[in-house]
Amino acid sequence: MVITAVRPTLPDEPVRTRPDKVGKRRKFSSGVLFILPAFLFIFVFMLYPLVSSGYMSFTEYNFVYDDAPKFIGLDNYFAAFQDPLFTTALRNTFVYGVFFFVTVMASSLVIALLLFQKLRFNAFYRSAVFVPIVVPLSLAGLVFLWILQPNYGLLNHILGDVLNMPFLAQPWLSNADTAMASIIVLGAWASIGFVTILFLAGLQGISQDTLEAAEMDGAAGIKKVFHIILPSLRETYVLTGTWTIIHALKVFVEPMVMTDGGPGTSTLVVYQQVYLTAFTYFDMGYASAMGYILGLIILVLVVLNFFIGKIRADKDA
Amino acid sequence: MLRAAQRREQAPIQESKRRKVKSSFLSKFWFHLVLIVLAVLFLAPLVYILLNSFKSADEIFQVPQSILPKEWTLENYAAAISKGFIDYFRNSVVITVGGVLLTVLLSSLAGYGFAKLPFRGANFVLLTIVATLTVPLVIFLVPMYLMENEVGLLDTNLGLLLPNVAVSLPFAILIMRASFIAIPKEIEESATMDGAGVLRRWWAVMLPMARNGMVLVVIMTSYAIWGEYTIAKALTMDPAAMPLSVGLTLLKGEVWQYGILAAVIVLAMLPPIIIFIIFQKHIVAGVAQGAVKG
Repeated sequence: MVITAVRPTLPDEPVRTRPDKVGKRRKFSSGVLFILPAFLFIFVFMLYPLVSSGYMSFTEYNFVYDDAPKFIGLDNYFAAFQDPLFTTALRNTFVYGVFFFVTVMASSLVIALLLFQKLRFNAFYRSAVFVPIVVPLSLAGLVFLWILQPNYGLLNHILGDVLNMPFLAQPWLSNADTAMASIIVLGAWASIGFVTILFLAGLQGISQDTLEAAEMDGAAGIKKVFHIILPSLRETYVLTGTWTIIHALKVFVEPMVMTDGGPGTSTLVVYQQVYLTAFTYFDMGYASAMGYILGLIILVLVVLNFFIGKIRADKDA
Repeated sequence: MLRAAQRREQAPIQESKRRKVKSSFLSKFWFHLVLIVLAVLFLAPLVYILLNSFKSADEIFQVPQSILPKEWTLENYAAAISKGFIDYFRNSVVITVGGVLLTVLLSSLAGYGFAKLPFRGANFVLLTIVATLTVPLVIFLVPMYLMENEVGLLDTNLGLLLPNVAVSLPFAILIMRASFIAIPKEIEESATMDGAGVLRRWWAVMLPMARNGMVLVVIMTSYAIWGEYTIAKALTMDPAAMPLSVGLTLLKGEVWQYGILAAVIVLAMLPPIIIFIIFQKHIVAGVAQGAVKG
């Protein structure tokens, strides 16, 4: 869930050279034994599948018809970029990704700044923003589906009857643009709390001295925010940015539950297309290739985000 | 005396604060307004489903609707319990409880290994494990499906429990590793002097001290597995084997049972929300810490 920078483990102390070699060897092997069970799980369900699916992406393998995968080189990858469904899904994923990224980053930062003021009722505001983190996303999707229902849904009721603007009420999920907007809103609703926590942690990390020094210099309000606080959050941007990019491109549950990719293919996303290819058409080779393309895109963006953050930080230093 | 000195120091600051209070009264008002609107937006879906779960079928489809139920009824909850949603609940509970126990056990073993028993190549193994966090789950699904098909684990609770543990482990290991690193080495050394073996030291001395990390792993993993959708969607086809997160979505088109569906959704959302309310401080601190320190 969280992206973490891993610092290499430094032993607490330089390993003492003990006279008895047996003791040393036992220390070595017990470390391995402690890690082994967890590593086996990760190997069987993640590392092996990663390699296996990489191999399968170079094969033609329909689980229902074919006896064994047949090696076909890069054909699946070429086919993917000729496939209108895949390119549509790719474009939709990017549209979703850009709006999701901007919405989540901007709202979370603003909310974190507001919560950081420690106003009265802060505990209530925090709980309200954080609670969607723990709600199962697919069930939240069902609730949103209901809210957006054109005839007896909450949104149209509020727009039409409460705010008296019936011209705004519409069948939200039957129109391509509003359907896309709807899944973005669900995604943002579910994610903003988490990213806000990360921003709050970053804000708490700014030293009190920096803030006081700024106040002495007469920086206050908006000025303080823009000149002192926002620039001090460099590391936090890398963290939240990475998290948000990954989650933006991994969008799956929202369109699966709310739109099934529709209307037409207007909210079909890559993750969903991989899932459908694998588990509806059982075209395992092609699905693996599309999954790998998505994985590579995420990897490139994450690395890019990391280096941009680093270069900026170095420039300041 | 010390306090007096402090007070003297603070005096000018308080002066300036008082001046600021007036000017910031207006901005405080706006802050509250924005936060209230946000709180309403974030809570609206949850309150809406809760209120609807107490409405009778007629009232749910009534146009224009009333937000509060006119007549509060428990008929949806009664129907929910009798209508075979029990399977979904049982599957979710089995997968979550079993998955969390295994994840806590394995991650506290591995976290201890990484933190206190460094061996050659440990950092490489740790990096590999962490790197899996960035890989989209969908890449693992096809081989997972083929493997489970091979050994007959599709459509079983165990078949969902095991991959959920694997997917939860990398983050859990990071948390446990951080909590073991934070324990001063003297404590373990004194246990070594007493002649305790490594397994005993882990169980009797270190594990109780890493309690906070374990609580965090339990909470985070329960949320993750209780709400997990992707793996369950791929590895179960038989509704009887599905957890709540997937099973309930099959009913999204079935208009006639909206009231019952609302009641079941409320029941499914309740456990994580209650845990959240109890442990909120712990969770927020833990997420922030886990994310920053790693």
